[in-house]
Amino acid sequence: MSGLEYARHRGVRLVGLVLVVLAALGIVGVVVFDVPLAEVLADGLETLASIVTPGYVARSMEMAAPITLAAIGGLYAEKSGVFNIGLEGFMIFGAFFAAAATYLVGAGGAVHAWAGIGISVLLTMGLAVLFAVLLIRYKADQIVAGLGVWFIGLGLVPFTAAVIWGSRNSPRLPGVGRLTVPGLSEIPFFGRVVFDQSPLVWLTVLVAVGAWIFLYRTQYGYWIQAAGENPEALDTAGIDVNRVRYATVIFSGGLAGLGGAVLLAHSSSFVGTGQTMVDGRGWLGIVAYLFGNYNPLGAAAAALLFGGVDMLQGQFQTLNIEASSKLLGLLPYVVVIVVLTGWGKTQVPSSVGEPYESEE
Amino acid sequence: MSSADQSGTRSLADRVAGRLLQATVLERLGIALASVTTAILIGLVIVAAAGYSPILFLNNLIVGALGSERILARTLRLSTFFILTGVAVAIAFRAGVFNIGVQGQFVVGGLFCTVSILWTAPFLPTGTVGGIGLMLIGTVAAAVGGGLYGALPGVLKAYADANEIITTIMLNFIAIGVVSWLLTNPLRAEGSTNVQTERLPDYVGLPPILFGDSSFSIIGLLLTLAVVAVVAIAMTRTGIGYDMVTSGYQAGAAVYSGVDAKRTIVATMTFSGAVAGLASAVYVIMFQGRFIEPASIHTYGYDAIAVSLLAANNPLGVLPAGLLFGGLNSSSSYIQTYSDVPVQLIDGIVGIVIVFVAAPELFRMAAKRAGLGGEDR
Repeated sequence: MSGLEYARHRGVRLVGLVLVVLAALGIVGVVVFDVPLAEVLADGLETLASIVTPGYVARSMEMAAPITLAAIGGLYAEKSGVFNIGLEGFMIFGAFFAAAATYLVGAGGAVHAWAGIGISVLLTMGLAVLFAVLLIRYKADQIVAGLGVWFIGLGLVPFTAAVIWGSRNSPRLPGVGRLTVPGLSEIPFFGRVVFDQSPLVWLTVLVAVGAWIFLYRTQYGYWIQAAGENPEALDTAGIDVNRVRYATVIFSGGLAGLGGAVLLAHSSSFVGTGQTMVDGRGWLGIVAYLFGNYNPLGAAAAALLFGGVDMLQGQFQTLNIEASSKLLGLLPYVVVIVVLTGWGKTQVPSSVGEPYESEE
Repeated sequence: MSSADQSGTRSLADRVAGRLLQATVLERLGIALASVTTAILIGLVIVAAAGYSPILFLNNLIVGALGSERILARTLRLSTFFILTGVAVAIAFRAGVFNIGVQGQFVVGGLFCTVSILWTAPFLPTGTVGGIGLMLIGTVAAAVGGGLYGALPGVLKAYADANEIITTIMLNFIAIGVVSWLLTNPLRAEGSTNVQTERLPDYVGLPPILFGDSSFSIIGLLLTLAVVAVVAIAMTRTGIGYDMVTSGYQAGAAVYSGVDAKRTIVATMTFSGAVAGLASAVYVIMFQGRFIEPASIHTYGYDAIAVSLLAANNPLGVLPAGLLFGGLNSSSSYIQTYSDVPVQLIDGIVGIVIVFVAAPELFRMAAKRAGLGGEDR
C-alpha cells in the first residue's frame, strides 16, 4: 500500500468517525437533554467559541496527560509482544504511591509533589518487574494476570490508604502548580493554553514525541517492533527477545504509574472509594493507543479527544445547558465503544500474547 | 484385525485418556489450592506488616465464614451469587470470549427484574400464586435484560471486531451510571432519601427454609444448582454448547467444521449475560426485595472472573470456587464489624489469587524444584 493510499484510507475513516461521534452527541443532546439544537446551531460559531475556551483546552490537555502516558506505556509493551492489560491497576498504584510519598515526605509544597511523583514511578516500576517476571519467565496468561493487577490495585490500595490515613481518601495534598511564563501568558488563547499550563502536560508532550522518535527512529525501537512482529528473526539476529520485552513491560508499568501520579498532582487528594480516582482511565489508555494505531502521537491525540469529552461536562454547566452530570460523565465510555466499533481493526503486532522461547 | 483387538486398543486408549484427564484435573486442583493458600499467606504477611495480628485475622476469616448458623446462611447466600455470576463468566471464557461485563449485565438484569415485578404486580392476584407468577416474570425479565446487555458487546465483537474486553468494561461503567441515574430520578421510591426503587410486594420472595434467615433461602441455592446443572449439560451435550467449546479451544478448526463463528460469539455472550441476569434475579427476589444504587452493590461480576478462573472455567468447578468466595466475602463483613483491619484487603487477596491462577507455570516449576510430580511431560 502506498503512503498516499494509506493516508487517504485512514483520513476517510477518521472523518467518518468524527461525524458519527458528533451526530451521536447531537442526538443524545436533543433527545435526552432537550438541548435546543436549532438555537445552538443558529448561534453557530459563537457557541462553539464559548465552549472551546482556552481554559477548556487547557483542562482537556490536563485530563489527557495521564491517559496519554498510560497509553504510550501500553503501546510499547504491546509493540514488543506483551499485552499489558494491567494499565489501570498500575495507574491506581501510581496515584496512590505519589499521594503516600508526597504525604510522608512532608506534604509542604510543589517540591514534595515532585518527589512524590519520582518515588511513585520508581515503585510502580518495581511492581512492573514482578509483573514482567510472571508474564515472561512464568508465562502467565497476559489477560488474566493483567486483570489480577487491576483487582490487586482496587483492593490493596484502598486498604493501605485506610492504614495510613484512617480513610480510603487522603487529606489535601500539594500539587505541582502551573508553569506561567510572564508576558507570553498574556497572548490571547495560546497564552493560557501554552504558557500558563501544568508542567506535567509539557512533560507528557515530551514523552509522546520522545516515544515516537525512539520507536521509529532508533535501533532499539526497531528491536521492540521486531519482538512483537517477528521474534524469531530478532532472535536469529542475536538479540534477546525476552530482554526487550522485560524492558518494555517495566517501562509500561513506570509510565502508567507516572500517569497515575500526574492524575494525583492535578487533583487535590487521593480518592480510594469506588473505582478509585483513576476511574477507568487506564482502560481509556488502552483504547487510546488502539485508536492511535500504536503510534505514540496518535495515542496522544486520541487521549486528547477523551479528555475533551470528559471536560465537556463542565462547559455545558457553565453554558447552562440542562444536563445530568451523571449521564454526561458517561460520555467518554460511550465514545470509547463508538471508537472501537468504528476502529476495531488495528494493526495488532502478530506475536502479541505468545510467550517466546529461544530455540537454543 | 479382530474386534477383540480393536476393543483392547480402545480400552487402552480410554485408560490413558482417563489417566491424563485425571492428572490435569488433579493438577488444576493443586494449582487452585496453591494459588489460594499462597494468596492468603501473602494477605497474612500484609496484615502483620500493617500492624495487626495475623492470627486474629485468620481466626476472624474462619469464624466470619462458618461461625454460626446466621453466618453460615450469609456465606451460602453470597456463594449463591458468586456461583451464578461465576458460571456466567465460565460460559464465555470456555468459548474463548472474555466477558468482563458480568457486573453490568447483573445490574441491568436486576433492574429489569425489579421493574417488571413492580409494573405487573397490580394486574396479578396477591398471595402465593401471584407471588410465584411475579417471580417467574421477574426471573425471565432479568435473564432477558442480562442477555440483551451481554449480546451487545457480542454483536460489536462479531460484526465490528471491537475488543470485547474493553467494550464490556466500558458497558459496566455505563450500566452502573445509567441505572444509578434512573434510580435517582424516574424510578426512585416515593419519599425515599436513598437511591432505590419501591419495595417488591411482601408476597414476592423465597421462604426462609432451614436457616430462618429472611435474606437466604435454600430454595435459591437449589435453583442455582439446577442452573449450574443445566449449563453444564448445555455446554457438553448440546450442539450449540459443543460449537461454543470448540470455538474456544480451536477457533480455526471450529470454522472449518462449519461453525458460524460470529453467531457463536453472539450466542455465547447472550447466554453468559442471561445467567448473569439470573444471578441478579436471585439477588433482588431472595435478598434485597428492591433494587438499590448499583454503585453500592458488591462487585460480584468482577469477583466472578476469579471464581471462574479458579474453577478452570468449568461450570461444575465453579461450585467449590463459589463457596470459597462466599466464605471469603462473608468473612469480610465479619471483619468489618469486629476488627479494625480494613476489609479491602480481601479484594486484594482475590486479586493475588487471580495473578497466581494466571501463572500455573509458577507452581509447576515450584513443584518440580520441590521434587513433586516433576516427571510429567
